[in-house]
Amino acid sequence: MTKKINERIPADSGNDAGFTKYNAVQSPWNRLLSYKDALHYASRFEAVLSAAVGQAYRIIIPDYATRASEMCKEAYGRLLYTGMNYPNDDGFGIHPFMCGSYPGALIGDKGDDALLMCGRCQDFGTYRCEKELDVCDWDICGSELCRATTMSLQGQADATESRHRKGKKLDYMMVEAKGCGDRHCRIIAESREKYPAPAHELWESFGPAVSDEYKKYTEEEDCVDEPMMFREECDYRFVNGTNNETDSSNQMINLSTAASLYLLPAIANAVRLGYTTEQQAEWIKKCVLEAAGKAMFGERYAIKACREWLGVPDSIKEDGRILGGLIEMLLQSLVCRYEIEAFNENEVIYVIDRGGLAITGCQSLVEAHLYMWQGMVKTLVNAQWSVWEEDSPKGKMRIKIAKKIDKFM
Amino acid sequence: MNKNIFKYDEWKRAEHMAVRECVGYYLFTHQIMEVTGPQACEFLDYLYPNNISNLKVGRDRYTTMLNEKGEILDDVVIMRMDEEKYWVSTLYGTKTDDWFYEHSENYDVETYEITEDWHMFSIQGPKSKDVMNKIAEGGVDDMKFFMNKSSVINGIDVILNRGGFTGEKFGYEVYCAADDADAIQEVIDAAVKEAGGKEITEFQVFAWTLPTEAGFYYMRDLNRTNPFEVGLEKNINWDKDFIGKDALLKIKENGPEREMVGFEVCDENEDFYIRSKQYGGPGEPVYIDGEEEEVGRVSKLVYSYVNNLNIGYILAKKDKLHIGDHITIHGTKCVITEKNWLNR
Repeated sequence: MTKKINERIPADSGNDAGFTKYNAVQSPWNRLLSYKDALHYASRFEAVLSAAVGQAYRIIIPDYATRASEMCKEAYGRLLYTGMNYPNDDGFGIHPFMCGSYPGALIGDKGDDALLMCGRCQDFGTYRCEKELDVCDWDICGSELCRATTMSLQGQADATESRHRKGKKLDYMMVEAKGCGDRHCRIIAESREKYPAPAHELWESFGPAVSDEYKKYTEEEDCVDEPMMFREECDYRFVNGTNNETDSSNQMINLSTAASLYLLPAIANAVRLGYTTEQQAEWIKKCVLEAAGKAMFGERYAIKACREWLGVPDSIKEDGRILGGLIEMLLQSLVCRYEIEAFNENEVIYVIDRGGLAITGCQSLVEAHLYMWQGMVKTLVNAQWSVWEEDSPKGKMRIKIAKKIDKFM
Repeated sequence: MNKNIFKYDEWKRAEHMAVRECVGYYLFTHQIMEVTGPQACEFLDYLYPNNISNLKVGRDRYTTMLNEKGEILDDVVIMRMDEEKYWVSTLYGTKTDDWFYEHSENYDVETYEITEDWHMFSIQGPKSKDVMNKIAEGGVDDMKFFMNKSSVINGIDVILNRGGFTGEKFGYEVYCAADDADAIQEVIDAAVKEAGGKEITEFQVFAWTLPTEAGFYYMRDLNRTNPFEVGLEKNINWDKDFIGKDALLKIKENGPEREMVGFEVCDENEDFYIRSKQYGGPGEPVYIDGEEEEVGRVSKLVYSYVNNLNIGYILAKKDKLHIGDHITIHGTKCVITEKNWLNR
């Protein structure tokens, strides 16, 4: 094995190529991907990874109600804590006179667009708010996630309420969900003082809304498929609330994932609560994520499409550089720093900044990626190849893509 | 589905009409930037296009704040509290703070955000003057519009300001220390209810329906417009230097490309689907009947409880829409109007 770097386009090429508004992401073979496409790729890849983590969680807690309940409680508590200790009213356009929990809707609205979950706010008032989404990359992760995201919003809203003078409390409910097969996701928040309804458990915040007749339903022809920051009609800016404007340049680094925000914390919580052990949970995650990685390129057409997407030349046959190129696209899309230690037909070595891959500070997401890549290399290249961590410096994950024989693999 | 969120809502109607017919009050604390120092006046005069230099102590002024392109970044009320002390009332605090910092280097000024120290209650409506005369020591008979003064309510020091965001002839704001807010609210609440009024709790009423009926803007309406497009150029002081002046002079010479117009929904029995910018987003596109060119976007759509009409604003290409023009917005018939529904 040598640590030679074969001829390739330098990592900094394209920096002055005229991409003044958006940076491009580029493969090792100079296939340039627009900022917009890169973000979509990263978002959907992370959704697939999250869906696999969701399956692991389902194995750990088989009963739906128990699983959803634990997940909702964990998400509510964590986001309530975060909102109370790290408030950002100005960042969300929450004005000092906005008392009660209705301003929480502004937090959800802004978060949606940053996650490419485009749609529209349909109502925003002291006693009722409504948000409708046309797109949700997380719609493959399971309805438990739909419930938990709603409860995280409730947590943020309650935290916001606690910082202001007394106001009206709103009950946030997801009344339609793409993850359940609906055309839209729709969260309606209602004041029970104005729209009375029986009390319910956290995980049962799933509607129907009392104020259903006020619902505004967007027909197919009016639906959108890009967030505001990528739409000319919005001048490529995201605007919400009464005076909040964000351009697209800060959205890439704001990308979060269902796995890091909800599913991996839910598994960690399940360990704390004794549903499984840490070792067992890790084993289940490894098994499921590797299988998910293998499934990505089980068909030849998927490999062909991936090579085309990366611009892999025909001269490169089956070796680790193909997966390496794909990993690089993801890391660039996530704005995660990495160094290339080797990139040749025998081995590919990257030293990846763990902090950059631990999206929203979730350290276990780093290993989740490694499990997924180990599965992917088996079908994208072939079963002789593996991906493993080796000799990592502090704060980094040094991964090696090379041939490996392991009789217990 | 699609039931009108304003028209049939009796809670909103009751709160709205309390202000129009009697008196209503609500917490309306804005962010307050305090600007002090020997050059506070010069500093503000450079940042804001309207005249600050002739603002007397105890008086207020409404003005826009522009960027170098002449686009409106913010609209504020500046209150002169003392010879070298001004309050800037804004809903854009974080960015205004940065803007102040960025431009204050050459001025002998200090700027602080003092939002957390204060709360403000707005008392609006025909009987607001009676309420204020009852609760404020010294009364408010001497207060002209956009005048502020110190006073005492129930033994608590307050600052009174005559003004508001409702279009009412009589409207007052009570600024009190944050720690005194509960006690002050108790006094205001009792006096307002005794006068037959009520607390206004609905954001959509005090931020949207009341101001829109009077033709006022919420900052979202002004986002990325210039003063000529939205009719806020009248009080600009062209004799001084201010940020955005060069760009505005060009716009003045060439004429604005857009204008804000009013509109009403014709069929009041219809429950319609029209998106407006007030919720974020780009707003519903507007076309002239029979034509394919987009001539504007719906900025705002609320309800006039005084006139029982769905009303709103359209930011349109200049001279494309005229009062009386009939248009169809997302299948709903509408007509272009003036954008003030109070003085009809």
